[in-house]
Amino acid sequence: MNVLIIDDESPAREEIARLLGKESDIRILGQCSNAIEGIAAINRLNPEVIFLDIQMPRVSGLEMLSMLDPEKMPRVVFLTAFNEYALQAFDQNAFDYLLKPIDPARLDITLKRLRRDRTPTPALFDAAAPLKQVPCPGHQRVLLIKVEDIEYATSKTGGVYVTVSNGSEHFTELTLRTLEEKTPFLRCHRQYLVNPDQIKELSFLEAGTVEIVTRNNHHVPVSRRLLGELKEKLGLL
Amino acid sequence: MHMTLASIELTLTLLQQTCVYLVIAYLLTRTRIFIPLMHVTIRLPHRATCYIVFSLFCILGTYLGLKIDDSIANTRAIGAVLGGVLGGPSVGLAVGFTGGLHRYSLGGPSALACMVSTVAEGLIGGLFHYYMMRRGRFDTLFNPLPVALVTFCAEVAQMLVLLLLVQPPAAARHLVEQLAVPMLVANSLGAALFMRILLDRRELYERQSSVFSTKALGIAARVEGLLRSGFNVDTSTLVARIVYEETGVGAVAITDTQNLLAFIGIGSAHHLPGTPIHSALTLKAIESNEVVYADGNEVAYRCSIDPKCPLAASLIIPLVGEEGRVIGTIKLYEPRTRLFSTINRALGEGIARLLSNQILAGRYMRQRELLAQSEIKLLHAQVNPHFLFNALNTLSAVIRRDPERACNLVLNLSTFFRNNLKRPSEEACLGEEIAHVSAYLEIEQARFLGQLVVELDIPDDLRLVRMPAFSLQPIVENAIKHGTSQLLGVGHIRISASSANDMMLLSVEDNAGLYVEPATSSGLGMHLVRRRIAARHGSAFGLDIACEPEVFTRVMLKLPLTPCEAATALEGFHA
Repeated sequence: MNVLIIDDESPAREEIARLLGKESDIRILGQCSNAIEGIAAINRLNPEVIFLDIQMPRVSGLEMLSMLDPEKMPRVVFLTAFNEYALQAFDQNAFDYLLKPIDPARLDITLKRLRRDRTPTPALFDAAAPLKQVPCPGHQRVLLIKVEDIEYATSKTGGVYVTVSNGSEHFTELTLRTLEEKTPFLRCHRQYLVNPDQIKELSFLEAGTVEIVTRNNHHVPVSRRLLGELKEKLGLL
Repeated sequence: MHMTLASIELTLTLLQQTCVYLVIAYLLTRTRIFIPLMHVTIRLPHRATCYIVFSLFCILGTYLGLKIDDSIANTRAIGAVLGGVLGGPSVGLAVGFTGGLHRYSLGGPSALACMVSTVAEGLIGGLFHYYMMRRGRFDTLFNPLPVALVTFCAEVAQMLVLLLLVQPPAAARHLVEQLAVPMLVANSLGAALFMRILLDRRELYERQSSVFSTKALGIAARVEGLLRSGFNVDTSTLVARIVYEETGVGAVAITDTQNLLAFIGIGSAHHLPGTPIHSALTLKAIESNEVVYADGNEVAYRCSIDPKCPLAASLIIPLVGEEGRVIGTIKLYEPRTRLFSTINRALGEGIARLLSNQILAGRYMRQRELLAQSEIKLLHAQVNPHFLFNALNTLSAVIRRDPERACNLVLNLSTFFRNNLKRPSEEACLGEEIAHVSAYLEIEQARFLGQLVVELDIPDDLRLVRMPAFSLQPIVENAIKHGTSQLLGVGHIRISASSANDMMLLSVEDNAGLYVEPATSSGLGMHLVRRRIAARHGSAFGLDIACEPEVFTRVMLKLPLTPCEAATALEGFHA
């Protein structure tokens, strides 16, 4: 069983790692000290289970769930120091949670459940709140860009990038699928999502192709296949 | 010669009559109807009283007159003139007319002349009133001598009217010769004495009220604030002594609803504070919430403890607290040998009301204090459960790796919780607060291991500066909870103190710059700290917040530079 630990307190990570290290069938793929690192690691390592702290800087554990790719949703074991009322919003079967300091006997129960059933839990993703901000790691720090400030998102060979009003482009660990599911963005192209609030016009070009022009005059391509659906969603039909 | 002798005889007889008249006047001045007449008044009801009273005296003057031939030697002028002097021209005219009409109804050759002259006399009194009022000399109106002169003039006028109107002229002359001297003397003297009586009444009345107000004010000033610190044996004894000294009654007692709290004065040997209430009258006053007065005559008063007790009269007034509930009584006593003065009886009720209000104010104040205390307690108790369990979680990790460091952590936790559990003694010195905060920060540093850097810059000489306890911790906790713990990188907390212009500046700065106006969670702690400092030291002191987004948040406490007392300072070093 491949697991990933995400907690901002290093002694806390160390403790859960020590407890999990006793189990022969568990392989710790890595440890992350915040949610942004966590998303990247999940995308990269595809863990079956994550041990996820709830209180973390900038992006909480709960918020992080809505930033994951629903296809790659691991099973989640929340770690919390105190009763977290926010957990009541979720289907109790979709996750497990452990109180800190962790009681090894209680952890055993959790592990038994996981061994029995480690199928991913997309239910958790569906229940997670809509996305409000998109984390974009930069050189020195992580930018948290508000969803309404994004004009469009595109998937390139290097990864997914969001473009904001001033034209600057930011890399993000979030997948287009996540953004499509958790934001109001509309799919207009296999590689593009557009923020409908930022659309200024649909421009019909000579070659029969269509482009979206955003409020700040950025051009976003529209695929022929998705044009009808887009028009429908925009209420243009 | 014969004329003169007859005239003197008549004068004396008329003066005798005037005496009867004045005795009636004296008796009437003791009644309430005279109270409005003791002041110059322009209010209508008072003028009406003035008119009625002096009209009666006018008529009385006629009845008490002496019949001479067909005419009457009388003192009617006193009523008419005084009515005018005290009530003004309109009242004077009205009184004169009423008295004159009455005289006219009795008939005789001088009837018409007498009526006209009485009206004239009222008018003369009224004009004197008008003149003096215009000149602002109210006191002259009550001065017997000018009043006598005015009456004298009025009588001269009457004589002239008689000479003019009585027919035949010879009869008129005869009449005036007979009447002039007795009536001039009797009326002038009578009016002056009448005024003197009024004046005496007024002075007595004023003396009484000034004694009353002096006593009341004296008691109010001396007991001010005493009962606010609590309604108990100590404060009650102080109050009872003051009331005893100021009123001069035989003895003063204060009880709550069960026990005697204080007893000062005669009989204090057997009325012992702290003993349960004996007197059935007191219990009755408490139960009924009514004043009980046992004067020793109509209502028997007998000391319920010692039959030989010299106290013979007792006034028991309930003290009333919240929602009109009786919370005790104040009792005034006089011994057998003295009368219970009405002033003291009236004062007693005033004192009881004053004391009740004080007790209420005291309770209110204490409740407010309690509320503030419990707010602080709340702040103490507001130990974030996340903090506690995370600290324990950290500890469980550290124990294995570094037992030495784990021991240290346990000590820090103890220090932190000990300080939190401590009753908010309200005052601490900076050193103590720093000790408390350091323990907290050490635990947080262990939690975030290398992700939190703390810098303390506290000059030694400021460690003894006094401040409201538990002021620094909430600020530092905020700096971590809403500041550095939200950083993806390393957090910095810097706590520094400096002094300037008799003020200590205590600054807590983080490198997160995430402060937002507390619409939400961070509000309570910071708000309470600000309110406590400002409430204690004035609005020049308190708390300032500066924030540059993403760079820093700095909270600055501004406190007065007052040093700790030695004892607290020592405690600070132990902490």
